Amino acid sequence: MHKSKKESTHLPLFIFGGVVLYFLSGMVDELRVYQGASIAVFVIAISSIILLTGYSGQVSLGHGALMAVGAYAAAVLRIEFNAPIILCFVAAVLAAAVGGALLGAAAARLSGPYLAGTTLALAVGLPSLANQFAVLGGEQGLGFDVGFPPLSLGEDFTQYKWFFWIAGLAALISIWSVRNILNSAYGRSWRAGRGHEVAAQLAGINTARSKVLAFTISAGIAGLAGALLAMTIGTVSPSAFPLALSFSLLTGAVLSGITTLGGVIIGAVVLVAIPEIADVVAHRLGSSESVTTNLPGLIVSGLLILTVLFVPNGPVEQHRARKAKHEAVHSSSKK
Amino acid sequence: MQLLNTLLIGITAGSIYALMAIAFVLVWRSTRVVNFAQAGMALLSTYFGYEAVSRIGSFWVALPVAMIGGALFAALVELVLMRLLVKHASSGPIAGVAPIIATLGLLGVIRSVVSMIWGGQDLRIVAPISNNGFTINGSTLVFSPLKLLILVVVAVLLIMLTILFQKTNLGLALRASAHAPEIARLSGVRVDAVRTLGWALAGAAGAVAGLFQTVNGNGNISPDSIEFSLLLVSGFIAAVIGGLDSLLGAVLGGLFLGLTISFVLMYVGGGFFFITPFVILLLVLFIRPQGIIGVKAGRRA
Amino acid sequence: MKAMNRRKLITASAVLAVVGLAATALPAQAAEVGVSSTEIKLGMTLPMTGTASLGYNKIPGAAKAYFDYLNANGGINGRKVTLVVKDDRYVPTEAVSKTNELILKDKVMALMAPLGTANVKAVASSVNPARRGVPVLFVNTGFSGFADTKKYPTTYTVLPSYVMEAKIMGQYIKENFVGKKIGLLYQDDDFGTDALAGFKTAGVDFAVKVAYASGSQGAAAAAGWITKFKAAEADVVILFGVSSATSAMLGTAAQLKYAPQWMLGSVGGDATTIKLTGVPAGVLYNAIGFSPVPATTDMKDEYVKLFSDIYAKAVPGSAFDLNVLLGMNTAFMTAQALKAAGQNPTRKSLMAAIDSKGATFANSALVPAGYSATSHVGLTGYWVGKYAPTGDLAPIGGTYVTYTTDSGSGPVVKSTYKRPAMPAKGLPN
Repeated sequence: MHKSKKESTHLPLFIFGGVVLYFLSGMVDELRVYQGASIAVFVIAISSIILLTGYSGQVSLGHGALMAVGAYAAAVLRIEFNAPIILCFVAAVLAAAVGGALLGAAAARLSGPYLAGTTLALAVGLPSLANQFAVLGGEQGLGFDVGFPPLSLGEDFTQYKWFFWIAGLAALISIWSVRNILNSAYGRSWRAGRGHEVAAQLAGINTARSKVLAFTISAGIAGLAGALLAMTIGTVSPSAFPLALSFSLLTGAVLSGITTLGGVIIGAVVLVAIPEIADVVAHRLGSSESVTTNLPGLIVSGLLILTVLFVPNGPVEQHRARKAKHEAVHSSSKK
Repeated sequence: MQLLNTLLIGITAGSIYALMAIAFVLVWRSTRVVNFAQAGMALLSTYFGYEAVSRIGSFWVALPVAMIGGALFAALVELVLMRLLVKHASSGPIAGVAPIIATLGLLGVIRSVVSMIWGGQDLRIVAPISNNGFTINGSTLVFSPLKLLILVVVAVLLIMLTILFQKTNLGLALRASAHAPEIARLSGVRVDAVRTLGWALAGAAGAVAGLFQTVNGNGNISPDSIEFSLLLVSGFIAAVIGGLDSLLGAVLGGLFLGLTISFVLMYVGGGFFFITPFVILLLVLFIRPQGIIGVKAGRRA
Repeated sequence: MKAMNRRKLITASAVLAVVGLAATALPAQAAEVGVSSTEIKLGMTLPMTGTASLGYNKIPGAAKAYFDYLNANGGINGRKVTLVVKDDRYVPTEAVSKTNELILKDKVMALMAPLGTANVKAVASSVNPARRGVPVLFVNTGFSGFADTKKYPTTYTVLPSYVMEAKIMGQYIKENFVGKKIGLLYQDDDFGTDALAGFKTAGVDFAVKVAYASGSQGAAAAAGWITKFKAAEADVVILFGVSSATSAMLGTAAQLKYAPQWMLGSVGGDATTIKLTGVPAGVLYNAIGFSPVPATTDMKDEYVKLFSDIYAKAVPGSAFDLNVLLGMNTAFMTAQALKAAGQNPTRKSLMAAIDSKGATFANSALVPAGYSATSHVGLTGYWVGKYAPTGDLAPIGGTYVTYTTDSGSGPVVKSTYKRPAMPAKGLPN
């Protein structure tokens, strides 16, 4: 049985997802709604890493900085020009994409650890630049206010629910777009170039240009995530984009399965849920102050190591591989 | 005078980054892995050193204790973590990223455990010799016996390691195990043991870096100190600037980074402290993508 | 095949989420949120781990030490005070999510002493305690903006603002260092901007100003700062930075034998913290310092004596420093506010109590608090001291001389405030 060459866009699936989220937001309490918004932000950010690292094979330890670029662009546009929110988000994507293009062009010749080092230095250095320019608000940051939900939604419609809707919608659109990009010719050229650069070049693919394109798109998506992050906390400041954020994105991508988009929500949920669960566990165990304070960090880091060791390609890929093996065994026995 | 002081500040800070960079290069050369947990291991080794100092009272005893402790711990990590990693995650797209993630996870684990055991206390290591500047013609330089010691130790370590790598059979085995493990095995080299040794050497180097970073600062050890964050980031960046394949490159990268940051702080302004490493890195890698002394990856047929 | 798997995945996630929500259902609270017949719950967010946590991670232990003492002595009208502390690692996103947990999950009555300007701002705009009517008591930052009651209607400051401190320093300089060259070390963020504003109002002209990037303070950077001050021939050098910057500066100055007249801001000026970093006590000798609360080594002060006793029993082996004193002082003030809120305290009655009686709450500070129906400003001044040969700050001439001012353009005046006696056993009356 042949699968059709052109994969469907699965649009109805995403609309179904949207409907599910709509009902969810009405049923859960405010804390969960806020966490839902955070999960949506992480979903978008992690998908940008999957595109860049999983598909295009380029390691970035600096996507936190690209998120910052998007966030600041959105905030400045809002404050200086009182632009409508949609425009602010578009500006975030464009600004970060420009940053990504520049970074990608500079990094096109770099491989592995050299690229990692460059992006690491960017993650450390870029947010602190905000202190140099008064328009960027310095350490205390800029406010980013997306405004209140429209009155037509009713009096009880909380601010957090509004965030969840915006972020959730952005996540759905973003994942749908990324998925289609990954299934397109661009996605195929990235996968071809990943690890087999000479072969790809022989096949006629301009690997340098393809790598820069990957960086640009990945950065734009990260910029959107950054602007949405700023929305959820209402401010943009350098301390909101520490080095640890870039590490968290990579963590989430690995937990999701870095080569496939299917599990992206897993990584996002883990990143948001684990600290809370770890907190509860730590307090349940009681003991000394220094243990309870450090246990959550220990649990998250330990989980990371275990995942990389035992589920390196992510749960979704693992599941598929097992299924494929299962089917192969069955179909051969049928003969 | 200001120029001289700027140079001295840069060289001293740079030599400690160089130590960290040496540790990164040692791990890279022996196992082709970037070990982000290096600074965590250095931190742990520094605590080993602290325990030695508080029990025995001598820094000169603490130094070898920390080095040995660091070496043993690093070897343990290689034996357990890295072997597992190679077994489970050495193929597919994850292969490039897996060691980075695993070592980042390890960094977090080490930091948490260290905080649990020693956190919350105010611990200090006192420098073994004076850190007061030399006075020449009435003005005091930013250079002290302690800083001189650091430079000397870095130079000695560099020479010893270079001799090891270039002139001994063990060094040859280390290099062979990294570049062509199968051929090395066929020649009778115990590749796995040699790789562990590479990590152990790196652990020792990191321990020295951690101890010196502590006493060169204000003597305080803390898992949350700025000194250790700097050690992680600057050590890695210095190694990349120098080209991950060369020990000399690591030292040059460290000195270059230290000097540039020092000049920027003095003549441009404090606000550019964090963006400077990025700019330097970009400039160096633009001109030489493999670092100052790095080796260009050969084209494979 | 693929589509089926994907649909399954999304459905599974949805089911999980719904199950999760069911598990989070909490029993309803009677009366006011966070207040039961046996307990009053308060919440605090601050950096407990990470580079910004140095020194501050002692505050929860200090506050809890006081609350435990209070609870052992009857609590507040028979209710125990419980403090829930969450680590935000100084990251605004975490401050927001942890505060969400405190308000929505732990259901605390009020937030106490959240730390960090960027974090308090993020919480204000995202969690919006003002809209929810949640009091934000005694924020642990000196940023003057939080005194704006229109923007932050449920927020109360306690620390004198950085603007106030700079103005008082400026006044002291004008009175005592006429004609001398003044140098300033400041942090290049809101902390420093407030200071610069205050110095400007006070009319101080600097011969040299050195900004440092928060997070870059270390011995290497300090040597650079000193070179600049030497070049400008500063007679007086003001260190308006955090503890790590101040100690890096002093330690390196000792090594370089650089000894101008030092003037330390209160944020970085805690002698115990500085000495713990290895700065020789001799370096601090005769430096000028400021503090709103009594010197932490002044055992003749009844508050210092009682608080250090309580702390030594609760957290043995830990030094009693400025962070501890301020932490316990804030807990003490909160306890009084809770008591004054009445037999059945509510969030509204708590805030009303501070508005009407806050200025008269007993606390260890030697300057008055400015709480009123129109002002949520806490302490308004400092006393001036000099560091003794042992390195500890002591009032000049042995008696506390205090100055008060505002965060605006008001004058700096010598205060005649006499601190009322501590209530019996340090418990709210």
